[in-house]
Amino acid sequence: MRKEQQGGTAAVALPAVRTRPTGRTGPAGTGRTGPGGRSRRGIRDRQGRWGWLFVSPMVIVLGLFLLLPILMALWVSLLHWDGQSDPFTSAADFVGVRNYTDLFGSSGGLTHQLFMISLRNNLYYVLLVVPLQTVLALGLALAVNSRRLRRKGPLRTAFFFPSVTSSIAISTVFLFLFQGSGAVNALLKWVGISGPKWFTDAHGLVWSVLGAVGLVDPDKPVHALAAHGVLGLSWWDWLAGPSIAMCTIIVLAVWTTSGTFMLMFLAALQDVPAELEEQATVDGASRWQSLRHVTLPALRPVIFLVVTLGLIGTWQVFDAVYVMSQGAPGNTTLTPAYLSYTSGFQDSDYGHAAAIAFVLLAIIMLVQRVLLRERDGQPSRIRRLLGRNR
Amino acid sequence: MNVRRAAPAALCGALLLAGCSSGFGSDSSSKQDSEGKQHLTVMIGSSGDAETNAVKAAAAAWAKKTGNTVTVTAAQNLDQQLGQSLAGGKPPDVFYVGSNTFANYAKGNSLYTYGDQLSYQNDFSDSLRKSFSYNGKFVCAPKDTSTLALAVNTAMWQKAGLTAADYPTTWPQLEKVAKKLTSSKVTGLVVDASYNELGVFMKQAGGWITDPGQAAMTADSAANVKALTFVKKLLKEGALKYPKQVDTGWGGEALGTQKAAMTIEGNWLTGAMASDYPKVGYKVLPLPVGSAGKGTLSFSTCWGIANKSAHHAADVSLVKAFTAVPQELTFAGAYGVLPSRTSALAAYSAKYPANKAFADGESYGQGPVTLPGFTKVLAQFDTDLAGLATADPKTILSSLQKNGTAALGSGG
Amino acid sequence: MSIVRGTTRGTADRAARRRPRRSATTALLLGVTVLLGVVYVLPFVIQLVTSFKTDPDAASHPLSLLPNPFTLDSYRRLFGLGGSGESVPFMRWLGNSVLVTVFVTVGRVFFDSLAGYALARLDFRGRNLLFNGLLTVMSVPGVVLLIPKFLVLNELGMFDTYAGMIVPLLVDAAGVFVMRQFFLSVPKEVEEAARIDGAGIFRTFWSVVLPMARPALITLTILSFQSSWNEFTHFLVATQSPQYETLTTGLARFVSGSLSAGTQYPLKLTAALVATIPVAVLFFVFQRHFVRGANSGSVKG
Repeated sequence: MRKEQQGGTAAVALPAVRTRPTGRTGPAGTGRTGPGGRSRRGIRDRQGRWGWLFVSPMVIVLGLFLLLPILMALWVSLLHWDGQSDPFTSAADFVGVRNYTDLFGSSGGLTHQLFMISLRNNLYYVLLVVPLQTVLALGLALAVNSRRLRRKGPLRTAFFFPSVTSSIAISTVFLFLFQGSGAVNALLKWVGISGPKWFTDAHGLVWSVLGAVGLVDPDKPVHALAAHGVLGLSWWDWLAGPSIAMCTIIVLAVWTTSGTFMLMFLAALQDVPAELEEQATVDGASRWQSLRHVTLPALRPVIFLVVTLGLIGTWQVFDAVYVMSQGAPGNTTLTPAYLSYTSGFQDSDYGHAAAIAFVLLAIIMLVQRVLLRERDGQPSRIRRLLGRNR
Repeated sequence: MNVRRAAPAALCGALLLAGCSSGFGSDSSSKQDSEGKQHLTVMIGSSGDAETNAVKAAAAAWAKKTGNTVTVTAAQNLDQQLGQSLAGGKPPDVFYVGSNTFANYAKGNSLYTYGDQLSYQNDFSDSLRKSFSYNGKFVCAPKDTSTLALAVNTAMWQKAGLTAADYPTTWPQLEKVAKKLTSSKVTGLVVDASYNELGVFMKQAGGWITDPGQAAMTADSAANVKALTFVKKLLKEGALKYPKQVDTGWGGEALGTQKAAMTIEGNWLTGAMASDYPKVGYKVLPLPVGSAGKGTLSFSTCWGIANKSAHHAADVSLVKAFTAVPQELTFAGAYGVLPSRTSALAAYSAKYPANKAFADGESYGQGPVTLPGFTKVLAQFDTDLAGLATADPKTILSSLQKNGTAALGSGG
Repeated sequence: MSIVRGTTRGTADRAARRRPRRSATTALLLGVTVLLGVVYVLPFVIQLVTSFKTDPDAASHPLSLLPNPFTLDSYRRLFGLGGSGESVPFMRWLGNSVLVTVFVTVGRVFFDSLAGYALARLDFRGRNLLFNGLLTVMSVPGVVLLIPKFLVLNELGMFDTYAGMIVPLLVDAAGVFVMRQFFLSVPKEVEEAARIDGAGIFRTFWSVVLPMARPALITLTILSFQSSWNEFTHFLVATQSPQYETLTTGLARFVSGSLSAGTQYPLKLTAALVATIPVAVLFFVFQRHFVRGANSGSVKG
């Protein structure tokens, strides 16, 4: 329900929809069995007219504001356009695929570097958020589902509530909590930790942790790593992990998404036959064993779904960056979505902005594709669903 | 003809219609509104309530006199909001144009050229007129100018046992007092992590980002390395911090909330201090000199009028009201900027002796880089400066050199 | 996952000590879960408390749960009832949010059901193509459309207008999909009976099938309300003038503006709180519909 989980989730989400017994005849059979009096053909025609009338608002809105924009942006991504003239005339400065090669080749200079940094940032964000939110959501679901826990309603509400509120409002709260002299650091002080200046700390988590145990100095890059690199960034930068500032956004994401995913797990857990688990317990299996061998396998499809939704949603992080950090410090919270936005509206470089949007689209589509194909080898439900309508 | 075919047809019709009412007009000027009462919109990038209220009051006075109406809005992020509205073909009628973005907008033909319509155009200094001319034409009337100076909290100064004799005039002195004023709760010097402020050290060391003609990059000069090395040293010692490190948004806020004993800021500081922190006593001093002598930065803004505005006559009338000598002095009094008109500048210096340091800087201040396509390069430089404490000044400057040269080469 | 780990200790002789260990793990499980619950709720509590604080109090005692002094200043400033300092055009934000939300919610419920019904029950040429197109369109992530949407709104002359804010949101692919799934489950005999009685297609839809869809419609209404109330990126690229700012865009610009960083937190948190209240009320009244939205469709993620 969280904003960043919206959109793009549908195709993979379909398997979770309990497909209702629609009957093998399917909707296509509706008109044909119509009552006597009117000819079959007449009804079909009538349905044809009304059908198109019924779907026309959808066709117009989605066509104008989903399909057309994509086509226009595809054109703009091939232009050098500063936003101050009409890009849809012959006067447009056509540059071919240069905007794309600028992103991936060192010829792109600063554009290339910023894009690679944004990819790195988002990659670490994905690598941390997806496992954390999945495991946490599963844990919460198991806890709330536990038969020994009475009065679980309020708890479920507490876990779910952050998911339905506005991402902007939540980010505002987090901005306050994670200030240098804010509530989080005040809490940390109680347990004797002096918290970092969250939003100004550009140090990578990896080097900070290694630094804390004395292995490296986060401020002095190891020469062997800093001197060489690939794709515009040094190895030191690639391996740094998310910055401390990015960690606050990661915490925010995990906190706001785990509730929704918990509900998905809960729904699935209710479908796991209780007798099966009890049988396992009677057979002498420990609770851990019964979880591992009975519950988790039964949850496999939902885990797959949650991971997929997570992977798609996390590549779209934007709102929190806009409110909390605007890419700072040291570009460590810059994400492709935010970079696309600023390239366009701030630097008036709409060509690169559109190109970044398309690369992002490609990444997300690729993730979906790979995951759908990956899943248990057999034709997925979505494909079956599509097939049924063909 | 049935509905089945009608629907796609309707869609195509909508698309055609769309083509006609396109927001991206390539026509440079729009149709002029000839009605008696006109409604104008003004967008400003404000330093705070003092500035916003002063502009609102001036606009209201003009509206009352002429019978038109004006809405003044303060943008949170002027560059972004203006860029989006220009690209969207719905710009405000009158807006601030910084000298750093002027070239971009003039090049894109977004600004209405009205300099010749001002009878007093020679009352602006040559350098100001040059800053806002494009292809030899004087485009928009300079609004005001600002320079950077050092502001110190007088109470903290005394508390630390310092006197007027200790006002820093050199880098070592600045470092000494900054360290002395630093305590667990107060930072000696708080300066924005931006070349717009830290650039003063580059000027004082004899360097700058480009050569005077803005034809070549000079970012990796030894003078610039020296300047950033000094800043880095102060950062390392904790005597200098960036505003975010003390939970504030800019140097003025750090001074006002007494988290900083000193800051380097422009004239706009005085307006913000007066309206937001009237109880905090401070004094404005000239910046210390470096090895190459005095150096400060100078910023100017002009009253841009959108080519797309339908009220050009009224717009110019409004700008004339804004740039009248008494009005410029009122603005100057309200939020501390220097008047753009030479005849007003003399009156200003006499009236506000406390701001002498700002006015003096006007004669030698370095203007910002005004090359098209440089916003990204300079934004990256600012990002790098934010990480200066743990980075190598040489690396930062050589990447600026590299990025700037590339941007120069591509011509924006 | 401390909950799970808590239950795994000492499996060896569990039969012998079954009872005491059970209650111990139960207590641990309960403790950890309740603690987590507190962690989830705490930010909202701090937000609520801070809204009654003064600026200096909020800055120096961010964690204190007792405002000292207690003040309603933030609320007064938001609702234009005076109070110190510059105010934000909060009433305008609120008005815009309400306006847009009402139009979008009504539009979505109506158009989504229309299209969903046609895709489920009406036989017309191109239907399968449309449905496949719908599935494809649903998988386009919203953030990717930031720049593209701006281009199209601009080209249509809808940039910076209420129409530009509302029309693109009037139909959402996911909602159409959910409604289609629902209508597929309605027994066909109902419609056939209506048709025999001579009702036309629209009549059948409007007065026979739609009333049966009440639960689905309520869910769709609530989810549409929630998503348009919380919508941010679309308004960000569709408008520029402050007069069109909604609670989300207004608040986001207010909070991220560099000049006000670090200050006025009580005011900002109060604005965020008031922006949360309508959805919160809806949530507590209709929680099961939110749960259904998260589950049955899953399309809303």
